[in-house]
Amino acid sequence: MAQQLLNAIFIGSIYALFAVGYTLVFGVLDVLNLAHSAVFMLGAVITYSLVALHGVPFLPAAIVAVIVCGLLGLLIEYVALRPLRRRNAPPISALISTIGLALIFVAIVEQAKPGSFFGWLWQDGANSVRFPSNSVPNPTYHLLGLTIEGTKLIILATTLVLVLVLGSIIRFTQAGRGLRAVAENRRAATLLGIRVDRVFASTLFVSSALGGLAGLLFGLAISDISPYIGRDQVELKGLAVIVLGGMGSVPGAVIGGYLLGLIEVLAFVRFGSNIEAGVAFAALFLVLVVRPQGLFGARLRERI
Amino acid sequence: MKGTVARGFVFILAVLLAACGGTSGSSGTGSSNSYQGKTIYLGAILSITGAGGVYGPSSQNGMQLAVDKINSSGGVNGAKLSLNVQDDASDKAQSAQVAQRLIQQGNILALLGPTLSNSAVAVHPLAESFKIPILAVSTTGIHIVPDCKFPDTTPCQYVFRDSLGEETAIPTNIMVYSQRAHPSTGVLMVANDDKFSSDGGKIVMKTVSRYGIQLLDTVAFPKATADFAPVVTRALQKHPDVIFITSLGGIPAKIMIEARKQGFTGQFLGGNGFNTAVVSKQAGADGKGAESGSAWYLRNTFPSNADFVKDYRAKYNADPDQFAAQGYAGILILADSAKRANLTFSDVPGDRTKLRSAMESVNIQTPLGPFQFTSTHDVKQTVWVIAMDGNGGFTLVQSVKSTS
Repeated sequence: MAQQLLNAIFIGSIYALFAVGYTLVFGVLDVLNLAHSAVFMLGAVITYSLVALHGVPFLPAAIVAVIVCGLLGLLIEYVALRPLRRRNAPPISALISTIGLALIFVAIVEQAKPGSFFGWLWQDGANSVRFPSNSVPNPTYHLLGLTIEGTKLIILATTLVLVLVLGSIIRFTQAGRGLRAVAENRRAATLLGIRVDRVFASTLFVSSALGGLAGLLFGLAISDISPYIGRDQVELKGLAVIVLGGMGSVPGAVIGGYLLGLIEVLAFVRFGSNIEAGVAFAALFLVLVVRPQGLFGARLRERI
Repeated sequence: MKGTVARGFVFILAVLLAACGGTSGSSGTGSSNSYQGKTIYLGAILSITGAGGVYGPSSQNGMQLAVDKINSSGGVNGAKLSLNVQDDASDKAQSAQVAQRLIQQGNILALLGPTLSNSAVAVHPLAESFKIPILAVSTTGIHIVPDCKFPDTTPCQYVFRDSLGEETAIPTNIMVYSQRAHPSTGVLMVANDDKFSSDGGKIVMKTVSRYGIQLLDTVAFPKATADFAPVVTRALQKHPDVIFITSLGGIPAKIMIEARKQGFTGQFLGGNGFNTAVVSKQAGADGKGAESGSAWYLRNTFPSNADFVKDYRAKYNADPDQFAAQGYAGILILADSAKRANLTFSDVPGDRTKLRSAMESVNIQTPLGPFQFTSTHDVKQTVWVIAMDGNGGFTLVQSVKSTS
C-alpha cells in the first residue's frame, strides 16, 4: 500500500506539472489550449532526439527542449490564437484552431522516419521508445520494501520547486501583477497601460515550457516516448485536473493533479482497473456537484 | 432427329470447352494473354498510426517489397500488382470505414488486413458480405477464421489468414518454458479493452493449469494506462515465478521495465505483442530473455526466408520482423492464387470468387516456411519460440512443428 501511495505521488506530480501550464493559459486568455498535450509530447520527443540521435548529454538536451517548447508556445499564440483574437472570434474558434495545431504536431512526429523531412527529429514513426539506458543515471533505492527511483524523486522535487517559483512570480512580481490584471479584466488592463499582447505571449511561453518539461519528465519516468503520450495519456486527465482544481487556478491545478493521482491509484487498488477511470471521474463529478467552481475556484473574480 | 443433332453439337462444344479449360488449368498460364498489360488491384487496411502503429508499417513494408519484386520480374502472368494501403489509425470504426471505401472503389480484387484483431471483427464480416477475399496478415485473436461473424458460427467463405493464431502460439510458448524451467506460479497482466489482448489473456488462463502453473492473480488494465507502476506493484505483491503479458504496442515493454525496477527477477512470457524489434528495443536490457511464440524467425536460413531478409535489408536498410514477413507472404499467396485463378479482368465479382477458390489450394514457399491453409482457412506452420536478446533483437529458443 505504501508503494502504491508513492506511485500516486509520482504520477500526481506529472499531472500537476502538465495541468499548471494548461490552467495558466485558461486563466489568462480564457482559452483552452488543446495543443498543450502536443507540446507535452514534443518536450519528450525533442529531448529524446537530442540525446539518442544527436549525442547531446541529457541535461543540456532537456534545457534546449524546454526552451523550444516555450517557443512553440509563441507559435501557438501567433498562429492559432492572436489572429482569431484580433477578429473577436468566440473562444470556441481558438479551441478548434489549437486542436488543429495539435494534430499537425502529432502528425509531424508520427510520419517521421529515417530519411524523411523530419528524420532529424524523430525516426520511429508511431512507435514507442525510451531514453538510451546509459543516458540518464537512475539509481533505484529499495527502502523498507519500497522501491524509490532517482528519476521520480527528481520529478517530485522539480514539480514542487517550479510550482512554488511560478506561484511567487504570479503573486509578488510586477509581471505577475500584470498577468493577474489581464486575467481579471483585459480591457481595464489595457487602459492601465499593460501590454496585453505581451502578457499573452509570455503566458504561452511559460505554459508551454512547463508542458514540455512535464513531457520530458514523463518520458524519463515512464520509459515511454511516442507521438501519442500527450493525447492518449494526459490530455483528458489534465482537463479533469484543472476542472477539479478550479479553472484557471494554479494551486488548484497542483492539488488537483495530486488528488487525481491519488484517487486513481486508490481506485485501482480497491476496485481494480476495470472501473479505475470510472471511479476517478465519478469522484470528479461529485466534487463538481458540491463545488461547481472546483476546489480552488471560489474567488471567481480573482483568478490565477 | 433434329434434337439429336443439336444435342450432339452441344456435346462436342462442351468437350471442346472442357479441353480448353483443362489446358489452361493444368498449365496455369493458358489465359496469360488476358493477364498481359492488366492490373490486379489489391487493398490493404493497416494500422500505420495509433496503438497498432508498431506493427502496421512493418506489414506495409513487407507487402510493398513483394509487390515490387513480383512486378519487376514479369508480374502475375504479365499483369501488374497495384497495392493501395490505407491507414485505419488502429481504430475499429475507422477500419470499417476505410474498408468500405476500398470496396466501393469497385476494382479491388482482394483485401489484406486489418492489422488488429479488434478491427478485424468489424472489417472481415464486411468483406464476407461483399464476397471479397480478405487475407489477415497479422491478426491472431480468437474467432478470426473461420467464424468471422462470431457468435454466428457459420464459416466465412472469403476470410483467410496467414498469421499464426495466439491459440497456437501462446500454449506452445508456455509448454516450451514449462518443460524447461517448471514454474509453479504466475500472474497474468492483460489489457482489458482490446480484443487481441483479452483473447490472449483467455488463452493463458486456459493453458496454465495444463502445465501445473497456479495463476495467483489477473491484473487487468486499460490500454491507455500512462503509468504502470501501480499495476506492476499489485502484480508483484504475489511474488509470481512468471509474469504473463498479453498486450500490444509499447505496453509489454513498459511493464517489463517497471517490473525490473521494482525488483522482479522472474520470467516474462507473452504473445504476439512481443514479436517485433520495436518492443524488444524499447524493453532493452529489462526485456532480455522474455519469451514468446512467433510465426517467423529472422535467422532461418531456408532460401525463401534468406532471400526475403536480404531483399528487405537492401530496400529498407533495416531488419524485417514477423509482421513484415507475414505481409510479404500475404502478397505471395494472393499473387500465386491470382496466377492460377483464370481471371477475366472484366467481371470483378466473378474474379473474386475464382481467386477465393484458388487461395484454398495455395501451396508455396514463403519466409514463414512452406505455406498452406487448413480447411478452416487458417495457417498451418512451425512455431518458433524466441527470446528477446536485450538489444532490440531475438534469439531462437526452440522450434515446434505443427501437430495438426
